[in-house]
Amino acid sequence: MNWNLVRKTVTDRWKFIAAYAGAMSAWVLMLAAIFPSFQNIKGIQDVFESYPESFTRFFGIDKIDISSFDNLMGIELYGLMIVIIIGSFIIAFARSMVAGEIQDGTIDLLLAQPIQRWKVLTSEGAVLLGGIVSITAATVLSVYAFGAAFGIEGISYRGHAAFMLLAVALFAAIAGYSILLSAVMREPRRVAMAAAGLTLVFYLVHFAAGYNSVMEKIDWFSIFRYYDPMKAVRSGSVPVGDILFLLAFAAVFFSAALVVFQRRDIAV
Amino acid sequence: MAVAVIKTEALTKHYGKVVGVEDLYLEVNEGEVFGFLGPNGAGKTTTIRCLMGLLKPTSGRGEVLGLDTWKQSVSVREKVGYLAGESALYDRLTGEALIRFISRFDNHSESHGLELAERLNLTLDRKVSGYSRGMKQKLAVVLALMKKPPLLMMDEPTNALDPLTQHMLYEILNEYRESGTTIMFSSHNLPEVERICDRVGIIRDGNLVATERMQDLRNMRLRNVEITFAREVPGELGSIPGVSDLEEQAGNRVQLKLKGEIDPLVKMIASYDVADLSAKHASLEDVFFEFYGLEKASGDSAVDGEAPADGDREEGSR
Repeated sequence: MNWNLVRKTVTDRWKFIAAYAGAMSAWVLMLAAIFPSFQNIKGIQDVFESYPESFTRFFGIDKIDISSFDNLMGIELYGLMIVIIIGSFIIAFARSMVAGEIQDGTIDLLLAQPIQRWKVLTSEGAVLLGGIVSITAATVLSVYAFGAAFGIEGISYRGHAAFMLLAVALFAAIAGYSILLSAVMREPRRVAMAAAGLTLVFYLVHFAAGYNSVMEKIDWFSIFRYYDPMKAVRSGSVPVGDILFLLAFAAVFFSAALVVFQRRDIAV
Repeated sequence: MAVAVIKTEALTKHYGKVVGVEDLYLEVNEGEVFGFLGPNGAGKTTTIRCLMGLLKPTSGRGEVLGLDTWKQSVSVREKVGYLAGESALYDRLTGEALIRFISRFDNHSESHGLELAERLNLTLDRKVSGYSRGMKQKLAVVLALMKKPPLLMMDEPTNALDPLTQHMLYEILNEYRESGTTIMFSSHNLPEVERICDRVGIIRDGNLVATERMQDLRNMRLRNVEITFAREVPGELGSIPGVSDLEEQAGNRVQLKLKGEIDPLVKMIASYDVADLSAKHASLEDVFFEFYGLEKASGDSAVDGEAPADGDREEGSR
């Protein structure tokens, strides 16, 4: 890792990271603010239970139960929304790494310096990972803080901590293939489209696995098979196996990115 | 005996079916200023980018200061100051912050960079996004020069610079040369090459056509001659050895190029009534067009080293 490059990347990106962390905190604040009155709306549980199972399953919700704030977080944020929000952060960051520098032309200035190419990726990748951890931590800490501020009881602190580890592992997996795409492609726009498309494919495969035996077999390769946020929150135990798989997935794709970037021609 | 700082051995780079450079044997000696010339798409930038480890040769190899340019590219870059053809800089940093950022890569002092910036009248407290094209080029030059490397590789260094700044840059390059730095640069600016280079290499369609010492080029004795006759233009002008590009114009005036000895021409026209005569030594540009058949620059701003689209260049069939 090159600390000079890490420092510059942090300087460039900290506002971007802070904005996402702030947005997630604001979302949790909103949910914490509405939860007490939301709970008291008569018949709302019946309304939610009337939704088709496939509809709720598509949003990553295994069971609609708004009796607890933990469940509300699972329904409103942890299932799909956090993937969309933090996933967009990751893809935006990754597209500006190699592909973005090639398009801007600044790659020549960077690679004219005596720095190994793998250090460029690990330095910038480290800042991306730091951003992922920061935004996820801000989300979970907001649950604790705003839950306490609004007097919400029954929050599973261990459960949300376990969720945080699982979520970071999932986002590391998304970062792994996004960085690989950035190392392979020339245009940031195509990196974004490919990364978003691949994420969507993984999600749809996992969704379809519940209805199709072929998809069920393919689902073993979907990152979302290993992402069950509500199980982590309810059980309070860290899903070590799932986390290890996701981290291995991330490591394989990031390693491939290092190899590709080390060997590719840099023609602007 | 001259020591080669840059050496290529059968250096070849293909972009798919399109030839970038083919079978290039090039040597640049220690302490010399070497100009690398050729039209757009000839292979100049491809060659320099191979030497900088940005492109992997398809075959052959390059060597800089005894180091393999692909396998030991980090060590090469420790010793080379590089200015890319289309310099792009980090817009969000100020000039000073960018100098500091670059200086930290090999732990050299930023003070020389600040001195160079001052000599080139460059304001450093503004973000690069607010710089004009000329200011960005000045900053890019500073970044290439500031670590006082033993070798400078520059792709069109005076691009976008005003004449005064060009002159300052020539002075700075001369100081580097006198301190033993080897300089290789590509240029379309032939008067500039004529002014500062010791030797030139001419590349065309991916092949090195010639390398010449500047003094030898000046001795090629190509002249542009204009003669105005009092009466009709003699028909046998074209048969004089060395005469080419004969053009008759209104008023019994003729323009021609003359290679070699001028005496046969003078003796021939002495038997006619000559109203006016002008004979000027040709510029370096004229020498190249005449001897190496280079087409005149089309003004195309395409940069070598960009993987060309199919059909942009003839396929290599050597």
